[in-house]
Amino acid sequence: MDRILRDKKAIIIFIAPGIILFTAILLVPICKAFYYSLCDWDALSKPVFVGFDNFIKLFTKDKTMRIAIKNSLFFMLFSAISQQITGLFLAVILSNIKKGKNFFKNIYYLPCVLSSAALGLLWSFLFNQKMGINQILAMFGIDGPLWLMDTSGFIILPMWVIGFVATWQYTGSTMMLYMAQIAGISGSLYEASYIDGANKFQSFRHITLPLIKPMMVTTLSLNCIGSLKFFDLVYNMTSGGPNHRTDVLATHLYNEGFQYFKYGYASAIGIVLLVLCLIVTFIINKGLKVEDYEL
Amino acid sequence: MDQQIGIKRKAISPIKILIYIVLSILVLVYVTPLLWMLSVSFKTNSEVFASPFGIPEVFQWENYQVAWSAGKLGIANLNSFLVCTVTLISSMLIGSMAAFAIGRMRWKLSSSTMLYFMIGMMIPIHCVLIPLFVQFSKLGLTNSLLGLILPYVTFSLPLTIYIMVGFFKSMPTELLEAACIDGCSIYRIFFSIALPLGKTGLFVTGLMTFVSNWNELLLAMVFISDATKKTLPVSLTYFVGPYSTNYVQMFAAIVIAILPTIFVYSLFSNQIVEGLTAGAVKG
Repeated sequence: MDRILRDKKAIIIFIAPGIILFTAILLVPICKAFYYSLCDWDALSKPVFVGFDNFIKLFTKDKTMRIAIKNSLFFMLFSAISQQITGLFLAVILSNIKKGKNFFKNIYYLPCVLSSAALGLLWSFLFNQKMGINQILAMFGIDGPLWLMDTSGFIILPMWVIGFVATWQYTGSTMMLYMAQIAGISGSLYEASYIDGANKFQSFRHITLPLIKPMMVTTLSLNCIGSLKFFDLVYNMTSGGPNHRTDVLATHLYNEGFQYFKYGYASAIGIVLLVLCLIVTFIINKGLKVEDYEL
Repeated sequence: MDQQIGIKRKAISPIKILIYIVLSILVLVYVTPLLWMLSVSFKTNSEVFASPFGIPEVFQWENYQVAWSAGKLGIANLNSFLVCTVTLISSMLIGSMAAFAIGRMRWKLSSSTMLYFMIGMMIPIHCVLIPLFVQFSKLGLTNSLLGLILPYVTFSLPLTIYIMVGFFKSMPTELLEAACIDGCSIYRIFFSIALPLGKTGLFVTGLMTFVSNWNELLLAMVFISDATKKTLPVSLTYFVGPYSTNYVQMFAAIVIAILPTIFVYSLFSNQIVEGLTAGAVKG
């Protein structure tokens, strides 16, 4: 048994395809992206090494970049908070009801499997100035706001709208992961707590919450990284407009790289995005220390 | 928790009613936009403004015909299907092979290899977009479906490996030992014992891989410019911008684009939860 499981040749055969793909498609390109980000390169000529010029320009001169970072961080906070609260709330409720559990769960998870490009188009029409929600408001004689065009305030209205749509679409996955974790908690723990006279809230506070903490780290990381990477919904709902006010890092990168063909500059945006993702993952993993409970 | 203290409660409590009301309102929030989309896709453009929320007077099936041909949705469906199927099979095979070696076989570097794959979960696809595009244009892989499949497989590997390692680790050792004693080779053990036993895990990862690649927009948009190679999400962008005054056809196109995933989801929705639960408990 042991000899077979230590078979070096078999290990290499099993692991090699994955490692090769991963190195060729992920690791090598990332190293290249680091190099490109230090170059001035417009796709036609050869890359010219310019040091940190791109990054200096990004953080000092580029107004769209400032908006994009602000918007991306807003999305991250907004979706982390809204998805954690609604996702956990729904998971706890659905774990506790008997009738219709599967029905509700399947409905809430449905948008997660649908194309956010398609749903983005759908919502952009629901929030159109002449259609959808404004038609309902008009029936009550209210002049609806320009949901996706309004530009007043620090966080402009379209950002809240897109944030709402993102929560609508992705809360289901947070809920599903929490439900999976709650289903794994042994029922005898709850029985013991009720015998000791705990009420439902107390048992939630002292049994469910500590035991789903590992999942909190996972879902929070997924929420944050997912919303930093956000592209489809923004692209199809506003395309970054009006006047780049709803640009996020991903749409800014796409515009610079594939509309203006500034490969070096766009790579620098990519690196900023990567660093943000790594920092956020690090903070979540350090901040939410997971204690091990023996079950 | 109700199961545990259900003894006390015979009458329906007001809290329960309140919970069901909240849940039902949420169902409306989730379903209404989709139903609205369905009804608009059967209307005429003027009807959308005259009676936005009514049932269409005459079902305009030709919206679908026009959307299908104008957006080239037939070929887009085929492309998406091809890309996703090949990606699905390759990532499940490559991923579970690696997961088996990591979770079951004994070698020094297994945990660092796992870490190497897990880094992929944190890396956004956007960072590698430009280097990959440059490299692939040199190799002639842009504007080809293979150029989409390769990165899709790569970016599906971390999740596949993460879930499958959990499944392989929890597998009873006795089964593998028995096979060993019977003289099975390691390949035979993997293909005829480990893989069939990890079916639930394969199912979940397969479904997630399929769904995320079916919906992927950014990479497909950058890599593919040839109209006959476009995938579904990219074809939808045809209806944004200058053509977007034709609401009804756009809505028909959206319905066409999301129907396949709704179909697959309704077939397998319950297995997703089971698989996730099994993975979460074991992993």
